[in-house]
Amino acid sequence: MRLKSLLPAKSIAFCALLIVNARPAAKAYTGYQAAPPASNGKDTIPVTDTTLAAKAAPQQIATQATFSKDGKVNVRTLSFTPFISVQQYVKGNLAGVYVQEPSGEPGTEQNLFIRGISMPLLSKRELFDNQAAVYLNGVPLAADNPFAYEIQQYDFNRIGPATNLLAALNIDNVESIEVIKDPARLAILGPVAANGAIWITTKAAKSGRRQININGYVGFAPQQQVTPVNGVYENNFRLPFYNKYGTLNDRFNYPAYLKDSSNADYYGRSNWTDSYYKNQALYNLDLSLTGGSERANFRFFGGATRNANTADETALQRYNASFSINVLPLKWVTASAMINATHMIRNRNRNFVDRLAEARYLPDVSNPLPPNKSVYEQYLGQFDENVKDDNKTTAVQGYFNILAQMKGFRYTGGLSFDYNEGTRDVFYPTQLLEGNNFVSNYFGFNQRFIFSNAVGYTWNIDTQNKLDFEAGQTYQSTRNKFEYAYGYNGPNNFIKLNIVNGDPNATDYLQSNGFDVFYHPSNQKVAIAAFFGKANWAYNDILDVTAVVRRDGASVMQPDNRWYTGYGLTATLDLYKTVVKNADFLSNLDLTASYGRNGKLLSDDRFAGGPNYRSDLSWTGAPTIGSFAGLPGLSRPYNSGWVGYGIPWAYVEQLSAGIKAGFLQNKLQVGIDVYSKTDKDMMLPVPVPAEYGYKTAYASGLDVNNSGVDLTLHAGVLTEAANKPGLSLHANLNYNKNELKALPNGLQRLVINDHLLQVGQPIDAFWVYKNEGIYNTNAEVPVKPGTSQPLTYQGVALKAGDARWQDVNGDYTINEDDKVMVGNSLPKITGGFGGNLAYRSFNLDFNFYFALGHKLLNKYAAQRLDFINTDASSSIDGVKEITFWEKKMDLGAYPMYNPWSNTIPYRLDQDLFLDKASFVKLRSVTLSYNLVSGWKGKGKSNVFKEATVYLTGANLFTITSFKGDDPELVQYNGLYTGAGLPIQRSFILGFKLEL
Amino acid sequence: MIGKKIATVSLTALLFAGTLPFTACNKQLDVNSTRQSDEAKSWKTIDDARSSLMGIYGLFRAAVADNNAHWLFGELRNGDFTALKRPDLKAIIEGKLNASYPVIESIANWRRFYAAINACNLFIERSGEALADTRYTEINHKVDVAQARVLRAFMYYYIVRIWGDVPLLTKSYDNGSFKQFPRSSKEDVLGFAVREIEEAAPMLPFAYGAADPKMPGEVYHTKTYTEWKNMLINKVSAYAILAHITALQGNYYATAGYTDYVMQNYNRIAINYLSVGDLTGRTGIFNELADDLGTDQNQFISFNFLRGMGELSVSGHIEQLTLAYPLVSKQSPDIYITKDTLASMFPTSNGQDLRFGTDTSSVDQGTPTLYRNAYITNYGEEIPIFSKVKSINAGVAGEQQFNVFTSAILFTRLEEIVLLRAEALAVLGHESDAATLLNNIRSRRNVKAFDGEEAGADLIKEIFEERRRELVGEGWRWYDLVRYNKIKKNNPAFNALISNGGIYWPVSRDVLNNNALITQNNYWK
Repeated sequence: MRLKSLLPAKSIAFCALLIVNARPAAKAYTGYQAAPPASNGKDTIPVTDTTLAAKAAPQQIATQATFSKDGKVNVRTLSFTPFISVQQYVKGNLAGVYVQEPSGEPGTEQNLFIRGISMPLLSKRELFDNQAAVYLNGVPLAADNPFAYEIQQYDFNRIGPATNLLAALNIDNVESIEVIKDPARLAILGPVAANGAIWITTKAAKSGRRQININGYVGFAPQQQVTPVNGVYENNFRLPFYNKYGTLNDRFNYPAYLKDSSNADYYGRSNWTDSYYKNQALYNLDLSLTGGSERANFRFFGGATRNANTADETALQRYNASFSINVLPLKWVTASAMINATHMIRNRNRNFVDRLAEARYLPDVSNPLPPNKSVYEQYLGQFDENVKDDNKTTAVQGYFNILAQMKGFRYTGGLSFDYNEGTRDVFYPTQLLEGNNFVSNYFGFNQRFIFSNAVGYTWNIDTQNKLDFEAGQTYQSTRNKFEYAYGYNGPNNFIKLNIVNGDPNATDYLQSNGFDVFYHPSNQKVAIAAFFGKANWAYNDILDVTAVVRRDGASVMQPDNRWYTGYGLTATLDLYKTVVKNADFLSNLDLTASYGRNGKLLSDDRFAGGPNYRSDLSWTGAPTIGSFAGLPGLSRPYNSGWVGYGIPWAYVEQLSAGIKAGFLQNKLQVGIDVYSKTDKDMMLPVPVPAEYGYKTAYASGLDVNNSGVDLTLHAGVLTEAANKPGLSLHANLNYNKNELKALPNGLQRLVINDHLLQVGQPIDAFWVYKNEGIYNTNAEVPVKPGTSQPLTYQGVALKAGDARWQDVNGDYTINEDDKVMVGNSLPKITGGFGGNLAYRSFNLDFNFYFALGHKLLNKYAAQRLDFINTDASSSIDGVKEITFWEKKMDLGAYPMYNPWSNTIPYRLDQDLFLDKASFVKLRSVTLSYNLVSGWKGKGKSNVFKEATVYLTGANLFTITSFKGDDPELVQYNGLYTGAGLPIQRSFILGFKLEL
Repeated sequence: MIGKKIATVSLTALLFAGTLPFTACNKQLDVNSTRQSDEAKSWKTIDDARSSLMGIYGLFRAAVADNNAHWLFGELRNGDFTALKRPDLKAIIEGKLNASYPVIESIANWRRFYAAINACNLFIERSGEALADTRYTEINHKVDVAQARVLRAFMYYYIVRIWGDVPLLTKSYDNGSFKQFPRSSKEDVLGFAVREIEEAAPMLPFAYGAADPKMPGEVYHTKTYTEWKNMLINKVSAYAILAHITALQGNYYATAGYTDYVMQNYNRIAINYLSVGDLTGRTGIFNELADDLGTDQNQFISFNFLRGMGELSVSGHIEQLTLAYPLVSKQSPDIYITKDTLASMFPTSNGQDLRFGTDTSSVDQGTPTLYRNAYITNYGEEIPIFSKVKSINAGVAGEQQFNVFTSAILFTRLEEIVLLRAEALAVLGHESDAATLLNNIRSRRNVKAFDGEEAGADLIKEIFEERRRELVGEGWRWYDLVRYNKIKKNNPAFNALISNGGIYWPVSRDVLNNNALITQNNYWK
């Protein structure tokens, strides 16, 4: 009765389901997916016993192993590479997981999508809302909430260190990385996992004789080879436009830095690259210690890593420490605890754009930095002497868990937390900011607590039938907070911090020390309470059925729609044992079907209260104005969008079916999954009549479907034997396509900024004019029959030198109605392939990854060609980096339009700038040599269980038809700006020891 | 053994009980956002009313500051400025308002203006709820609502100047339904605006926090007179707005009446004539609160950007368009006045105009000043810098290289009202009174007096020429040209623009896309 009064009526039925649960139906596919590279030959992979820890690891969501499926990363191979982030670990290694790496700068944010995107990527907010969840030992890691962008003028980077929090994990401390795509399994993970999940388990404490592992590598990132250019190149590029279209007045406005060809700074040697691209050192050293008795054991891990990019002296320094213990105070009780700490220091780039965006101030940028090394080094000298830019991130995760088992009953419970904080202290001296200095300080944290409890019961009905029940509860509280202050006009360049008097009784309490200070604190808290139940029936190792149900209440939802029930059902049938039996070619055949439904969480807390009032007095270029006459002003959220009542939970509904087959004694293993995933009732800011002042109003009803196929393949081509080489190959591939199924308010078509959303079309399509060449003379411009009115671009008559855009609807006016949807910014096909060649004590591993069938919008080319508007624009788009003097692509192939035309012939939104972005890359090649088996050839050592040395090359080459530097350096929305730092090529030499 | 077991069981139970999810669940999930005020908590106190009132002013400021719209609308088209490099500004100057530049498309969207209007409507409808707070007095509320009404009328006038017919919404419809409304005729909208101000103006005080009969007490919304000075709409400013609305209607009889009221009462709100120094100084009339001009200098209607309160900005100031080296570090200005235009604006026949003038006779003064340059910096260079307004970082010494500005968006000042009155009287045929007013201003600028007896003397033309000189850079030129040509009707091209609606801006595609009842201005179809 008490339950009834507290929960909505629907939950009564649900409570009945809360009875009990499931035992690890451990069999599932373990045999299949755990398979290491088929020829594991003499590469001594340490056998670890993690059963104890696995049992007691945070089981906040029941027994994870129950749904064991394929989709694990080969961690062993990865531990030979210099990659540092979770995104990099999974890139190209898991079917259905797509990673974007928009810049090769170490420690910058990377994007992780599983089975496509569920909503159009209109801004960083939607980008955040599409990210897959990452679980570390069962704790969903807390990420930086995008609410900080609200106080930012530009969204290139989030304020603060903006360090990729998923770069905190050292691969040598990882036991397994797995992708969770199974709908039923996601359903029990709840709303946090609505976009899919990456499940990471670290190496655990275990019993046995003490074991020591030492891993290390040193290496370098060689200097990037690029084509530097100088004023001559730029001058030669621009002059033809002036000769063909320019007026005398235009010539008068020729950029000052190009006017004087005797200016050695611009027209002299272009050797800035010597100072910009440099050889960089990489290293990693870590050590772990494991040991203890059956009743009490522990593991310690410590490591230090440096990753660096050849460009702009960017680097990430990381320190890891981790400690875990298991204690069995009683035979039937296991208590386990872990604490995992990481400290990261990031050396950021020295780009103008990043710096000016941080300073929110645009000085005169008409003259770029000259390409000459001596001048460029003066600029860099400022950074060495006066600039302060400290970026530190500290993350701590941990748990304390109890597992009690008695007869068929069990109880698991515990609490886990994830806390990460970032600080950034910035100082830019007067020399860099027009005689003003700038200081900013950021402190922010994300903190998450989870309390969970579950009880389970296993009932062995008879020898063939087994039932398992589990029921439990979790409560998760997440807080995101930041405090950010910036100031201008400090007293001098030596005072780099605005230190104030913190004594409330002092007269100068908190008074600024000469800086003009702006202060922006913000925080939000999200709480989720959940109850779940799970039931599993296993029949004779042949059939395995699991049903789950979960009810979530979230603080970000309005009180009348606070709760949501998700559920799932999955079944696996062993066809080999039941139907096929004893076929010669076949050795294994499993069939799985799964269905699940998850609520989707809102990442913003502003919807729970319904209509609201905010401080919304800003205008373009002044995003943080909140007062008038110094008094705070409140208004309806005209800029950020109307929020009404009656917002339902958005949810994702997913159905998948899979088949796994092993052929020829499992030498060839094939897994195919087909899926259809529909995200429903999502909210979208929909434009409304402008006469109410609102930019948009939030409305529910956005439905998007992603469907596709995941394919994995393992083949043991040659089985290794004495003096005979072994060869195994593996591949994974995902084909995905998305389709907009419905828009809010029954709309069929919706224009949001430069995006068109049309029901039945993909959500990542580009919306562009079709370019058909150039009008060489005025006579070529079509004239509307019966009039003398030539074809216009939105009312402006087209002339010679303008672009020939297709008038799709034939109304003799080129406007939005003539734009078409073409291409897609996310690849249709992603995946990777690789192999292992083993011979004697040598192992050669190689890995490729690829993304195919997508396009990018080449903003780099558009801006270079549209130099008249780019230079004249007073926006940050007009800022030229030192890499302005790098020839990233040949622009000669584009038609020569009149850049002064009012129709903006080089506008970005035309298919002239749509380029194919498909690529295949060699991710890594490792050659390793096993000293234990190889040295003196005996395969035995009294001291070493493992001693391996290796050489790895990473990011060695790219195959692509794209003309720019790298088709992977594209922003989330498909824009290629040329601003991304190159993805680092590197070589490392390392060792692995175990004793 | 047993003891251990009990201990463990209790520990487990404690862990379970510690979270107490069942009882605490819904309560735990009631988390209020700290980043906004929810409906349930709004309009409860005087603070809510005050914040909302400031919100209206802030939104108004945002609308006119966004992309420097105040000047892009008012100063550029057919005006005295020339765009140096920016093609979008060049297109506006040439009247190519359909050119597809992002800035043009952005300001052609009237959304921000309607945000301020919606906030006014909401305030008028809801602020009464805050009377539940006894600190919020009936009289205070009445004054607040009167301000909202005048601001709403002012906003309608402002957008009618730009787009002609606009939808007239007098309610907030604050329920998420977003009903579509068509455009109302500009006559109706202006008529509504006039009625509103006529009703509301008498309820306004002359000054806030100054023991005015309409708003007694030394403190109004936590601030005193010196803090409120120059900030809010007062009674005189309401009538100044009325004078402008009626001038736009062509109802110069009413304009004469309202300007008369302003002329009779401006001294009651501490307004004075400005010297050229007051006008063009770094800490002059445009600088925040005009504080350096002393307590005796107020403003009629001014949207301020207070440096100390974090309201300074780069955009939203004419300085962003006009200033350049050596005043700020920017190499060259976006817009400037060519030497030819300067020569035609400030003809030498006018005498020694203190604002600007090339000077061939001043060598006899001992110092050979070749020009008077209160308005202009670097006249000797290729590109003269228009520097009449130059409130760089609140005029703080030593920071002139920092492109952050604090100049107020000033809608009108006494000189402007005098010239408007002169215009009205001249149109109504009271030419000698008009000439007296005109010469009042001219003498203050050391310009030769207007003499109606002179051959070819054209009083109306001279009044508008004086406006052109005095008000350049204050967002008047285009609207003045429209009124001038409506009076004179001697420019066929302009007549055509007036008759076919070409004097109005096109409505942006975003507006048209989201409201099927809105039609594009005929001229821009």
